[in-house]
Amino acid sequence: MSEKSKKSEDELLEEVTSSEYKYGFTTDIESDTIPKGLSEDVVRIISAKKNEPEWMLDYRLNAYKAWLELEEPDWANVSYEKPNYQDVIYYSAPKQKPVLESLDDLDPEMKKTFDKLGISLEEQKRMANVAVDIVMDSVSVATSFKETLKEKGIIFCSISDAIQDYPELVKKYLGTVVPVRDNFFSALNAAVFSDGSFCYIPKGVKCPMELSTYFRINEAGTGQFERTLLIADEGSQVSYLEGCTAPMRDENQLHAAVVELIAMDGADIKYSTVQNWYPGNAEGVGGVFNFVTKRGICHTNAKISWTQVETGSAVTWKYPSCILKGNNSIGEFFSVAVTNNHQQADTGTKMIHLGENTKSTIIAKGISAGKSNGNYRGLVKISKGATNSRNFSQCDSLLMGDKCGSHTFPYIEVKNSSSKVEHEATTSKIGEDQIFYCNQRGIGTEAAIALIVNGYCKDVLNQLPMEFAVEAQKLLEISLEGSVG
Amino acid sequence: MLTIKELKAGVEDNQILKGINLEVKAGEVHAIMGPNGSGKSTLSAVIAGNESYEVEGGSIEFDGTDLLDLNPEERAHNGLFLSFQYPVEIPGISVSNFIKTSINEKRKAQGLDPMPVKDLLKMMKDKMELLDIKKGYLSRSMNEGFSGGEKKRNEIFQMAMLEPKLSILDETDSGLDIDALRIVAKGVNKLKSDDNATIVITHYQRLLDYIVPDFVHVLYSGRIVKSGGKELALELDEKGYDTIIKEADIKWA
Amino acid sequence: MGLINNIKSYSERLNLSSEKQEEFNSFLSGGFPTIKDEDWKYTSLKKLVAKEYAINQKGSSVSKEQITEHSLGFSDKIIFVDGVLISKTEISNVSISDYSDFKSCGTDAISKLNASLTTSGFTITVDKNSIIEKPIEILFFNTVENNFTQYRNTISVGESSEVKFIEKIQNVGCNSSFTNHFTQISCGKNTNVEYNKIQNNTSDSKLIDTMDVYQKQDSTCNINTLIFGGSFTRNNLNFEQNGTNCESNMNGVSILTDSQFADNHTFVDHRSAQCRSNEMYKGVYMDKSKGVFNGKIMVRQDSQKIDAFQSNNNLLLSEDATIDSKPQLEIYADDVKCSHGCTIGQLDEDALFYMRSRGIGITEAKAVLTYAFASEAINNISVEKVSLLAKKLLSKKLNVDLDFSV
Repeated sequence: MSEKSKKSEDELLEEVTSSEYKYGFTTDIESDTIPKGLSEDVVRIISAKKNEPEWMLDYRLNAYKAWLELEEPDWANVSYEKPNYQDVIYYSAPKQKPVLESLDDLDPEMKKTFDKLGISLEEQKRMANVAVDIVMDSVSVATSFKETLKEKGIIFCSISDAIQDYPELVKKYLGTVVPVRDNFFSALNAAVFSDGSFCYIPKGVKCPMELSTYFRINEAGTGQFERTLLIADEGSQVSYLEGCTAPMRDENQLHAAVVELIAMDGADIKYSTVQNWYPGNAEGVGGVFNFVTKRGICHTNAKISWTQVETGSAVTWKYPSCILKGNNSIGEFFSVAVTNNHQQADTGTKMIHLGENTKSTIIAKGISAGKSNGNYRGLVKISKGATNSRNFSQCDSLLMGDKCGSHTFPYIEVKNSSSKVEHEATTSKIGEDQIFYCNQRGIGTEAAIALIVNGYCKDVLNQLPMEFAVEAQKLLEISLEGSVG
Repeated sequence: MLTIKELKAGVEDNQILKGINLEVKAGEVHAIMGPNGSGKSTLSAVIAGNESYEVEGGSIEFDGTDLLDLNPEERAHNGLFLSFQYPVEIPGISVSNFIKTSINEKRKAQGLDPMPVKDLLKMMKDKMELLDIKKGYLSRSMNEGFSGGEKKRNEIFQMAMLEPKLSILDETDSGLDIDALRIVAKGVNKLKSDDNATIVITHYQRLLDYIVPDFVHVLYSGRIVKSGGKELALELDEKGYDTIIKEADIKWA
Repeated sequence: MGLINNIKSYSERLNLSSEKQEEFNSFLSGGFPTIKDEDWKYTSLKKLVAKEYAINQKGSSVSKEQITEHSLGFSDKIIFVDGVLISKTEISNVSISDYSDFKSCGTDAISKLNASLTTSGFTITVDKNSIIEKPIEILFFNTVENNFTQYRNTISVGESSEVKFIEKIQNVGCNSSFTNHFTQISCGKNTNVEYNKIQNNTSDSKLIDTMDVYQKQDSTCNINTLIFGGSFTRNNLNFEQNGTNCESNMNGVSILTDSQFADNHTFVDHRSAQCRSNEMYKGVYMDKSKGVFNGKIMVRQDSQKIDAFQSNNNLLLSEDATIDSKPQLEIYADDVKCSHGCTIGQLDEDALFYMRSRGIGITEAKAVLTYAFASEAINNISVEKVSLLAKKLLSKKLNVDLDFSV
């Protein structure tokens, strides 16, 4: 990912002006898939393919039963054709040994894919100091740095591996932040999740490098059901990066992930996402459906920061949340969400203040262009016992052109009179007038849009780890090209 | 420097400029006056290259180059500056960042390296002194929350920083109180030289007491119907446009 | 009962034209507005109009010392006593004369009453291209107890001119009165006009003040209203923008104690594109005082690129003080920027404690915070003597000595 920052200005400019979805390509590796549809049998097959212990299978089966009873949510301000859950393939693994000792053992086809993605693991190994865990169609392919981290007692592996190697930890924490019955998609995920990341930081340990995962949906019709569980034990600290891309397809593809973060007393978790799923073509056909449940729980004196830059997917339904359970805990949410063409997004965050002296900060910036619709939906809940808690929320919308829309739905529920809640919302517009003004000052249209958008998003981009910030900036520019006039 | 011949332009089915002829030489100040709706803003927009207007005929030559061949940024890089009648707000971009980008884009087009930050800051400081602009101004978002007078001063500040060959001031004085007007005029006058030229589009005579024109043109119904020296402006202020309008209507009935 | 009968009797002694008689009759049939009228929902005139009043009576004269006491010290003054223009200064490029008959467009009861019966007021015309450097003071004195007076004024400012006014209505030698005041201002193209109203009359004075401002393109008009005195004040401030690039600015500061009542109704009609309006009204309410704010902004269909800002902030310093605030935005264009905000609160306990911990007494601490609260609106007043007066009156009401001599 940091390789992109090395590209010359010319190449960058060319990418900015080209209209092809850069990551739209497919890998011809044989995949090992199961037939379409979801049933108890499919759940069993998935569990069996992964060699899971009995308790895991039971967990999945309970979740499947729960899913059958729940109803798909209807309340977001988005309209889309509901996916047919029986028309989806729930498992697809490339025929490859999942964990590699050395990167030289990679299938050359796979290696080609990684190179196209712009990742050269060799480079990253030394210079960026990032441990990469690549999830290629539901199975972790390579996990580097495992050994280096092991020295510090840090566990960073695929969740499938964790179920085998650290069952006590998984059993203890899985589903404690996002219970199976929390919502329709969390139940679905709990039943059929194929893989994801598992991370455990021991007491008092500061993780020396940024942990990262890179996603990709390959097969047509495959849903992605990632499950990530990140536990930061007392006094520990970790920064985690998540970035996803997807190939060009005509059918909508389903992505229903669950991310659970646990910050024990005094722990600090920073979770950054750059999301770039296929957004559908300019006419609004195809594209990824992104329904994600991300939640973190903070114990005493703990802190969780969610930072995200979202530019992809056809329909997005996503509310990273913090439960501020422990006293003095802090929750933060920094987000830039871009919608263009016919994309629809209903995103936001929930900050639930339970403990005393808890503090939350929300800075959500939406950019809508084309005929798209961006919604921010935020909940700040101050419960009775949350004495002296504070929240600051700022939701800004930037409209590019005049055919897009943006709506803000803030929900503020306060049950404690000593708390302080502040909410601000602004709307601004970039139209032909602004662009012509910049032109007349010698600034070209693409450069003008980049200038405006980066200025608008800088509060959020500043929160991202450096290499992510560069990719994010470029991503914003690509996703907004041609958006005005 | 600027030669406009039989320029016809309009928007959709409406022809606003019906054949403009104008010659501006280096070192000159030309004033263009006229009643509302005569095409003053259209003229400045067309010269600057605003694509909302369609050029239907005629030519604009700027320093030997066919201006109509160039897009707005290119015209700017060639030394054209328009002080907008209604400067636009660009939230999130500070004044300093905007001007830096503007200057460096021009340098890039000329094959030069970006201006060193030290030089840029010094230049900004000098020009701010010239226009009586306070320190905190540079970090504010472009025109966001600016009063009418502040917006116009921001335009002239940019003009001072970009050092254009030809400046078009589109109703820079409308609505300014006398103090703001004096400062803006002072800035414009300081920037005047034998190598550059200024076109002042104005509705009110007072500005021309401060920025003294060499030539005054009356624009009415898309045509320059009368030209003269600075006395013409005083005459218009006293007598209004009626006589000129009547004559023009007869001539181009 | 009361005022209406007093007025009726008075009108019978006049020789009204048929037009004016018709208008007056129209007023009589409806009477004064009641709380059933939307515009007077929170403002009851019932008790006021039930009392008995003298109508337009002439009383004694006002001495030079009294004039000096109530003026801000500017050399150009226009002085009325009990409805009569008794003095005015000569100012070049400005013509000042007595009442002149003119039509206004108000169709409500208060407007009708004023239009039909008034014969007092000033007529001011400023020539075009004139920059009037010194502010012009206009003083309206009343010397008769319980006098009901009406004034009807008009100002016309010529193209590209600049002028500032300071107006004060003052009882001298008496405590109660009722004034129905109306002023119309026509701002020519490219003008800059400022009008400061100092409403600091005696403890039983009542005032209904209506101001209609008509703006032509490229004009800027600032109206500042300071309410410190009087028992009942109702301001109707209306702007009509006809022409591009107009700017209308309103600043209001109300500091009320005891049982004072102040109602500020504002209306901005954006009828052309590329215009701006800014409203900042701050109210501080102590004891049993009461305030009302109603700010209406209308943006007509083709009025694109409007930038309208309205803010009403209120500080309630006692449990019995109350405020009713209502913003109204009627927007029919789609490329506009309109924002409004209203806050109602108390003084910050933490800030108070901080100051007291540094040795500042509670009364002073409260005063400092209250001044800070009101200062933004006060600082928007360009005439230094007026803003200084505002600061002094504020200190006085808060019973402290905030030194503003710096």
